[in-house]
Amino acid sequence: MILDIRYLFLRLGQALLVLLLAFTAAFILLSLIPGDGVTARFADPALGLSPDQIAQIRTETGADESWISRYFLSLGGFLTGNFGFSVQTGAAVSTIIAAALPSTAVLALSGFVSALVLAVVIAVLATYGPFAWLRKLLDSVPSLFISIPVFWLGILLIQIFSFQLGFVSVVSPGPAEALVLPTLTVAVPLSAPIAQVLIRSITDVKASGFVKVTSAKGAGELWILVHTVARNAVLPGLTIIGLVFGELVAGAVVTETVFGRNGIGQITAQAVTHRDNPILLAVVVIATLAYVTINLIVDLLYPVIDVRLRTQPGAASAGKKPADEPTRRALSTTAASVGVDLDWDDKDTHS
Amino acid sequence: MTDLRPSTSASPGRTYGRRNFLSLGLGLGTLITLSACTPSDDAPLPEGGDPVQGGVLTYFEPQTWTLLYPPSVGFYPNGGIMNNISARLLWQDPKTLDLYPWLATELPEINADATKFTFTIRDGVTYSDGSPLTAKNVAANFDLFGRGDEARTLPVSEQISNYERSEVLDDKRVRFHFSAPSPGFAQATSTMNAGLLADSTLALDAEGFGPGGATGIHTCGPFHITDETIGTKLSVRVREDYDWAPPHLKHQGRAHLDGIDYLANNEYSVRIGAVLSGQADGVRDVQAPDESRVSEQGLRLYAKATNGINNSVNFRFRHELLEDLKVRQAIIAAVDRQEIVDKLFTPNYPLATGLLAKGAMGYKDQSGSWVHDPEEANRLLDEAGWSERNSAGFRTKDGQVLALSVNIALPQPRSNEVQTLIQQQLRHVGVRLSINPGDQSKQTLDALELDTVQIYHSMVARADFDNLRSNYSSVNRDVFLNGKDRDDAKDGSIDPEIDRLLDELASEPETKNRQKAAEKVQDYLVENAYVLPFFEEPQVFAFRRRVNGFTTEPVGRPDFYSTWLAGQK
Repeated sequence: MILDIRYLFLRLGQALLVLLLAFTAAFILLSLIPGDGVTARFADPALGLSPDQIAQIRTETGADESWISRYFLSLGGFLTGNFGFSVQTGAAVSTIIAAALPSTAVLALSGFVSALVLAVVIAVLATYGPFAWLRKLLDSVPSLFISIPVFWLGILLIQIFSFQLGFVSVVSPGPAEALVLPTLTVAVPLSAPIAQVLIRSITDVKASGFVKVTSAKGAGELWILVHTVARNAVLPGLTIIGLVFGELVAGAVVTETVFGRNGIGQITAQAVTHRDNPILLAVVVIATLAYVTINLIVDLLYPVIDVRLRTQPGAASAGKKPADEPTRRALSTTAASVGVDLDWDDKDTHS
Repeated sequence: MTDLRPSTSASPGRTYGRRNFLSLGLGLGTLITLSACTPSDDAPLPEGGDPVQGGVLTYFEPQTWTLLYPPSVGFYPNGGIMNNISARLLWQDPKTLDLYPWLATELPEINADATKFTFTIRDGVTYSDGSPLTAKNVAANFDLFGRGDEARTLPVSEQISNYERSEVLDDKRVRFHFSAPSPGFAQATSTMNAGLLADSTLALDAEGFGPGGATGIHTCGPFHITDETIGTKLSVRVREDYDWAPPHLKHQGRAHLDGIDYLANNEYSVRIGAVLSGQADGVRDVQAPDESRVSEQGLRLYAKATNGINNSVNFRFRHELLEDLKVRQAIIAAVDRQEIVDKLFTPNYPLATGLLAKGAMGYKDQSGSWVHDPEEANRLLDEAGWSERNSAGFRTKDGQVLALSVNIALPQPRSNEVQTLIQQQLRHVGVRLSINPGDQSKQTLDALELDTVQIYHSMVARADFDNLRSNYSSVNRDVFLNGKDRDDAKDGSIDPEIDRLLDELASEPETKNRQKAAEKVQDYLVENAYVLPFFEEPQVFAFRRRVNGFTTEPVGRPDFYSTWLAGQK
């Protein structure tokens, strides 16, 4: 069985707990910062309000209540889908988030897919590339990419491709046009860790005994890459993909600021400057939700990709016999290739 | 995964995000090289000629607008919009600062002690939702602006004080009553902070005036809001039926432009690059070091006076280290204002000759009051008892170091650089100045505490005598923290004379006497060495050459009513 229902529910429960913890931690941390958004907004000299007027507004907005009561108030709000109102503008947080989320989702998706393609291309060329010098060069590309500051890359891309060459407009671009440069900006640093892990795991798998066995059986390079190496090398890659999602959020903050895209990153940046806690709380919860979901999907994908993981975690390594036939055969082959006899009775089969 | 790139969450990019970026020294060289070869704006254009109708102007702001509730539009991005979509009862000439009728048929009748103002409303004016401008509607507007509504978090306008009530006399006449003389009210009705709103808009709460609700804001100016993309863009389009421009203007009828697209981008290099490359028509907030580059590319550079209180630092005399007049005088003598202006700015930032800009109402020339004389500074400090020095070379008295802290005025140009220079200048006379770090909210909050900020850097613009009161009074901006019941200073350290002189100014109905009262306030502040002004702060704009007829209202907010684009069909 590929999907264990009990496991799924366990993970879903964990995800909810993580969400609650993230919300609570964010709330406490934001409450610890001296000064609140209401004062920051209304004590702004640009409004010229007197201390009495500010105090009155603080009472009206509930900024004076204890943090405990505000905590349960916002928690209750979040549970019922009411995210509250922005301290800075008075607009409903749900309106602001709803306007920003699609743009970030599109950017995240296109950035992520491009990063994936970029990473695979780099990794394959760095390991199977035609010339030794090219392989060596590409091998160092991930370290270069991870060191490029996102804002610098963004500004540079705008300067060259928009202002100098005039390929894309940053002022009134079409939907696809608006996505090209930001996608590139997000994808480059994001591809680095994925490419790095893929290169290492491809190199490791290439050196494994079972690849040599397959090769000895007469399989071509390409066949080995697709059928043997890729299947085995993709697991660490999958793990890193779940982890780099955090990078995606951090990258979006800068990219959206530089490109003037109204997304989650941009509103986060503004909310931080304005102590706009209701918005920050909503962003934390959304980012946590996305992170938890992605990692849940990644965890559920492991057994789909790797037959060895299709029973309870740890079964294979503990020497237990996997229940299904293909797994057993695959494991026996692998074990045999490194000279281990699993001593499983082939006749004892049932499903 | 450890992210080794520069942390972005701690320094989100608003206008000053760029400085963080540049301070890393990354990309600067590349950017300059690249920008240097940006195509310049020198294609032939029909010179001069009559205004042409049509075209949409694209205009960049550093920040997105936050609230279109008129009393809150002091924030530049808000004001740049409100000034163009709203009409007011009176119109103030940006050069002479004289008032003229606009939606009122004539200047208001004012009683002798300036507590009753009677306006007659123009006929045939409609809001962008089709509703007519009536005396009742005008009364409702000022009831909201003059009182505020805390329950809707809509604050009172800082420009309207002592507001009591409105009285609708008939269909066309409305009278406003004040509990004390309020001679500044006539001018207050001319500012964008008193832009009139349709009845439907007056019923909105703060959420309705915020992002997401822009198209529901109905005004009666030459443009109206048609489209909004939250966070990045706001579109206004011309009102074809606009026929109520201030009567004495030459230009009547609809605006020349078909509309304006306001774009927001936090990244300075992108905003300026977009205009230099011709993708946008104009940009506000051109930094002093870029002025020559912009002019060289053939663009039009406008430095518009803001006619208000000069860019200054205020000494918070209630703090124990600044109690002594001699210490304040010494700090003033130690600062070289000319060096600040020469090193950091351009001739568009004239050295201050008074507390107010030359074009401001109530201006008094006090140019001899702030002489740079480090020796005198040393002498004064020695006299004040700060004659000992610690190992770092800073002055001490009874073991206490003469160490002060100044805020960064983020909305003001190059505040951090200005303070860094002053830090060096003060070090020469043994005074330690630290610059309070942090973003806008932190600066705002820290500036409320005497213990964190003792020297307060600020400026404020309003083309009326009341500007002095807005800035210095303990019930308004209170730059000195001169109010009662503070935790960090005893009531005995209050200087009651400041508020007394400001109240005198505020309650003086006659212009001639108001000038005298304003001068008295300034004399008092200068004599006591409470303020050190640096320069007259302009708003600097850059526009492509095809943009003609750009003007600003009296405090430097863009006014696109008579702007036109050359080359339109």
